[in-house]
Amino acid sequence: MIEFAIFFFFAAIAVIFALVVILHRNPVVGALSLVASFFALAVMYVLLDAPFLAALQVIVYAGAIMVLFLFVIMLLNLQHGSEPATRPVQQFLGYAGSAFFGLALVYYLVKYTVLQLPPGPFLSDARAIGVTLFEAYIFPFEMVSILLLAAIVGALLLSGRGARPEVAR
Amino acid sequence: MTFDRVDVVLEIVKIAVVVGLLLNVVPIMVWVERRGSALIQDRLGPNRVGPFGLIQSMADALKFILKEDVIPLQAHKWLYTLAPMFGLIPALTTIAVVPWGRPFFIPTEIVYGPRVSGVCLIGAAVLAILAIALGGATAKYHRKPNYSKLNFTIGVIVAVSLFLGALALIGVMLGIKTAGAVHLPGGGRLFEPIIADLNVGILLIFALASLGVYGIVTAGWSSANKFSLFGGIRASAQMISYELSLALAAVSALMVAGSLRLTDIVGRQTGYFVLFDTVKIPAWNCFSPAMWLSMIVFIVSAFAETNRLPFDFAEAEAELVAGYHTEYSSMKFAMFFMSEYIAMTTMSALVVTLFFGGWDVPWYNEPPTVTGFLLSAISFLAKVGFLLFVFVWVRWTIPRLKYDILMKIGWKVFLPLAVANIVLVAWFIAMRWI
Repeated sequence: MIEFAIFFFFAAIAVIFALVVILHRNPVVGALSLVASFFALAVMYVLLDAPFLAALQVIVYAGAIMVLFLFVIMLLNLQHGSEPATRPVQQFLGYAGSAFFGLALVYYLVKYTVLQLPPGPFLSDARAIGVTLFEAYIFPFEMVSILLLAAIVGALLLSGRGARPEVAR
Repeated sequence: MTFDRVDVVLEIVKIAVVVGLLLNVVPIMVWVERRGSALIQDRLGPNRVGPFGLIQSMADALKFILKEDVIPLQAHKWLYTLAPMFGLIPALTTIAVVPWGRPFFIPTEIVYGPRVSGVCLIGAAVLAILAIALGGATAKYHRKPNYSKLNFTIGVIVAVSLFLGALALIGVMLGIKTAGAVHLPGGGRLFEPIIADLNVGILLIFALASLGVYGIVTAGWSSANKFSLFGGIRASAQMISYELSLALAAVSALMVAGSLRLTDIVGRQTGYFVLFDTVKIPAWNCFSPAMWLSMIVFIVSAFAETNRLPFDFAEAEAELVAGYHTEYSSMKFAMFFMSEYIAMTTMSALVVTLFFGGWDVPWYNEPPTVTGFLLSAISFLAKVGFLLFVFVWVRWTIPRLKYDILMKIGWKVFLPLAVANIVLVAWFIAMRWI
């Protein structure tokens, strides 16, 4: 009973703050609302008996990635109202695309609501996740790391450190 | 898992004790900081309110409450108001997964005897002596010129409440004496002095600690002040950088314990290393050579993570007026102050838990009784208190670094050192040396 109350409370928080992210004009308010939404999502993980995933969700998304978002927003000093005006075609495509995506989401949710979970206890502690990640899924894991490494190397190359001659101070 | 009424009451008592202690650490630490800095700089420090200026912090707190709360016109009102709360809530909640004493079995009943009366009488005597000393000092200073009525009132109130506390203790003793023996409702069950014994405890600490930066960043941005903004930007970059070395330095302690649960980490440190079959050294992580590197990295990163000198770039007063809280006044400023000291306390508790054996009393096997619990809790508090003093000591001894040096040592020195130490600890574990 109390689990239902907690679920609906935090589900409402997640949805409301997700709406604030896309509807509010101020980028800083948007970023902070996304943090709140992520936090509510972490509570969902706790309710699913996966506190490890909840902690990682907060550490990685709310604690690290969103701080960098805020850092960039503040560094560039983005002001609201400086968004480029969109053409009617772009607006139409945006609404149509999101409507299509929403309908597809509802369709698949309805279709697969009666998913069968595997029997036995739900193992989600650090050890179980580590063993699964480094034994069954070691190849995709390494591929993802190489992808991230490539992104970092690309960012370094684009920022042009070392390619340019040293500028005198 | 099922709960009954006693469990709920015990949990509420635990939360009340821990949060009460944390909130009271703030005025005490402010006093220690001011007197300590005075000691280090060969000054007197606050010595007007109460003996040795002990209740100066209460006068300050009252002043904070009574000051006008100013919100700048250009500020983003909502975020400006929410920012101090963003800072304070993570600081207050992090302590929930830290064990602060040995688990013990609650006795079924308290029988009146010399031990009960002794504890009550000694406690009452200490409170009464404090009350008399405070009352005397207040009366003495009251006759001096330039002594404010506010300070006099606070002194009288504190002295009277201390005296009432002493009377209450004597009342409890007399109550037990007339009843003969008091039956405790939670008798026989195990009392675990930790609010939430999570199996991902240390991750929860890092998760909440990483949220603490939002208070500073939001305050810096919403104040509409360039100095505040600089403070917020600096803080976000600094705390992101040092979170990494902090977490990687903690990994070595986790590897030895083989668990993310903080009670397991403390339990691992309760034994002994025996040197040459004669010398018994407590099995604290700080005594094992594999841990020294990570301990140093962790403690220095803890200074950076809590924005304390020599790393307090978010509020570097020589460059940024007061950094992120330049525009803040009244209780909102006090909340930033509180979250800084509470975060310091939590960090100290974490250092004690990871490297200094948590609540373990050296060379003593605490029995699972009330005495064992009290001794271990006192040991834990003493260790945390010492580390808090180290925070103050370092602040008034080492000058501020430069910002580029801070980033350089964070990424180019501490991060590689922490990773290297993980390999070292793994080697030690593989060789079965620890």
